This record gives sequence, C-alpha cells and structure tokens, in this order.
Amino acid sequence: MTDPAVSPIRMEAVTIRYGRALACQNVTLSVASGSVYALLGRNGAGKSSLVRCLLGEQRPAAGRAFLFGADSWKTRRRAMARVGIVPEEPDAPPAMSARQLSEFCRRVYPSWDAAGVSARLERFGVPAKTPFGRLSKGQKGQVMLALALGHSPEVLVLDDPTLGLDVVARGVLYEEIVGDLADRGTTVFLTTHDLAGFEAIATHVGILKEGRLILDEEIERLKSRFRRIRYASRLTETRTEFGTELDAFEAARVRVRGWGIDAVVSNFSEAAFDRFRSLDGVEDASAEALSLEEIFLAVAGETPEKADEAKGAGR
Amino acid sequence: MAASLRIDPSDATPLWSQIEEGVRRLVASGALQHGAPVPSVRDLARDLRVNPATVAKAYQRLTDAGVLVVRRGEGTYVADAPPPMSRSERTRTLRGGAIRYASLAATLGATREEASEELRAAWRGLDEKKGVTP
Repeated sequence: MTDPAVSPIRMEAVTIRYGRALACQNVTLSVASGSVYALLGRNGAGKSSLVRCLLGEQRPAAGRAFLFGADSWKTRRRAMARVGIVPEEPDAPPAMSARQLSEFCRRVYPSWDAAGVSARLERFGVPAKTPFGRLSKGQKGQVMLALALGHSPEVLVLDDPTLGLDVVARGVLYEEIVGDLADRGTTVFLTTHDLAGFEAIATHVGILKEGRLILDEEIERLKSRFRRIRYASRLTETRTEFGTELDAFEAARVRVRGWGIDAVVSNFSEAAFDRFRSLDGVEDASAEALSLEEIFLAVAGETPEKADEAKGAGR
Repeated sequence: MAASLRIDPSDATPLWSQIEEGVRRLVASGALQHGAPVPSVRDLARDLRVNPATVAKAYQRLTDAGVLVVRRGEGTYVADAPPPMSRSERTRTLRGGAIRYASLAATLGATREEASEELRAAWRGLDEKKGVTP
C-alpha cells in the first residue's frame, strides 16, 4: 500500500520540449496522499504535456516525474496498476461497448470491480451496450471515468474531465468524485477549465502560465490572501501622487475606474486593510473575497510581468 | 439538510466554517431538532459537492463543541442537549455576519439608511414567518 511518507505524485524541475518548442519549464510540485490537486492554465499553458509526463507517456527533456516515488518514465507499467486515468481525448476501440470494455479490463486487472463499473455507468445514464464510437464526447468521458475507477486506483488523474459535459452530467461527475474521495481517500490530480465546479472539491491549486508553474498552494490559504479592494481616491495636499496608498499591498492587478480604484491584492490581512482605510485620501474602501476564477484571471489573465509580481507575492 | 445549508465557495469564510456555522444556525433555530440524525459526511459532501474532508472538519468541530454526537455504528446526531453558543462565539458570529452584510451593501453602493432599512425589513419578514405580530 501507499507509504504515507512518499508523495504519490511528485515532479522535480520538469522541462518538456517538442523539438524547439518549450511546453513546460522547470516545474516542481508534490501532491500529498489524499489531496485533490487542480492544475489550472489557459489553453496551451502546458497542462496536458505535464499530465502525459506524469503518466510516463512523455519523456521530459530535463527533470523527473515520480509516481509513488518511482520515476514514471522508467516504471510506467508497474505504476499503472495503481493509477486511474481519464484522458483529455477519450480513446477506446470504437466497436466495443462500455460493458465489453469493462469485461476486457476484468481480464487485465485481478481486482476489477465490474459491478461497481456497471453501477457507475447507470448513474451516469450511459447505455452499456452502445458501441463506444457511437457515444457522444461527454458519454465517452463518463465511460472513461467509470473504467478508471474499476480497479480502485490509489491515484486518479483527470485531464479536463468536465469538457463536453452539460450541467447535469457535470453534477453527476462531481458527486462521483466526492463519493470516491469519501469512500477511499483517493489522491486526485486534475486539469480543468471548470474552476467554479472544482473550487470546493480541490484542496490544492497550481497555475501554469506559458509552461511555468506560477502558483502552487493550498486553496484555503490562497483564498485567504487574495481580496478585491475598491476605494475612491482623493488626492490631497499631503498626498499628491496617485497609487502610493496601495504600497502596503502586493497588487496583482489594478484598474482605474470612473468611481475610483479596483485592485486585486495577493497579501491581504485585516490589520493591513484597517491601516489602509484610514490613510489620507482613501474613501469608501471595501474588501471583497474572490472566487477561484477571479483569482485565476488576476494571476494568469494578465501580462507576464503582472503574473511574475503575483508569484513573488506568494512567497 | 443540504438544501437549508447555504454555502458559498467564493466567500472569504472557509467552507468548513460556513458548514459549521450553518449547522449551528439550524440547531439554534430548531430546524434541526435535538436528537435528530444529520446526514453522513459522505452524503452531505456529495449534496454540497465539496471535499469530504471539509465536511469532516466541520463535523469534528461540532462534535468537540458538543453540538453533534457520534453514535458508533449508527451515525451522527444532534446532541440531546446541545450547549448554547458561548458569549464570545455568539458575538463573533454576529459580527462576522454584520461585516459581510456591510461589505455587500458598500459594494452595491447602498446608503447606510438603505442598508439599515433592508435589515429592518428582513427582521419583519422573520417575525411574520414565526407568526409573531410586531
């Protein structure tokens, strides 16, 4: 079984290249047993490359990825018995039905839970006898998840699992993942664009931007340090330079609006805010918590310099 | 119970704390009666679509505080005589809610008078629900 001292997932200075193109640069991260790590990033940020590297499907140009403490490029076969995978592009022989696929897997995995797979397919509402090739993209993903959990893996890797799912199917997927976490304490590593859906399920968040991991943190801590501060700025005799009032904060993004200033800060504290609101020329100051999506936009949606500032603030 | 537990992942209060406060509120208002069963960690986590560890943390704190009791092999229940909230806890909870409401009102650009009037109207609404004539 899992040695608690060994992180099931670890990456050490992973760099991935495709020819001359750099997909990931110097990525180091570690996922503790029982955590749910959500890797976020815009399209092309390198998320899928990193997943393929973790699964031993892509050899890193430098650095190493580990599953259960073993180099995943060298020991892919052995680790796979303990890992369940839902790939970004669901792939299976198009002529085989979900039931036939499950039957096939039963011969490969000694501990295969065929009844559990059927129950899951039923909850998802996926027809068990329809050939895989005739299912919708969302249904194919659901078959992949039902099969991925069939051998009770210790680690579940999901590459954009809600892609192509409607709102009802997404709900069923969250419940399935939450149920599995409750039953078995599975470690989950996922990439997603569905930030609102995984906000309450993820325990840790990583943000990839242009191949670099610019943020890697526990979600509760991340959310406690980010706030949107809004205020009206009045220049006075003692203060003539605009913007200096924000000096106590690390601003990830500042916007000047007609009514005043809208700033997203990454090192919020109640004490610092109390001092801020009593500053000369700061009026009607309010601080508002941010959703994960808003934090993501502030950190990864702006110019590279801004993102670097936000990263520096996290240290 | 999940339907009456309102949680907001984008709120500044951590989710476990929102669940903890929510359960306390339901017990205090009588919506959850003394001795009544509460959903399992697994069921509540699924209904709320939150990490089960978050629900487990809230339940653990509520159990430590004597609000909930775990009966081995049976499940989790509201205590037969849950302790009233301590004075400081009560003040803290009240103040936290007030700060959240005041920030919301400020964000929406409401005046103090407007915000206070909404608060009075909300009180009247609660009184009507309870059948209390003002």
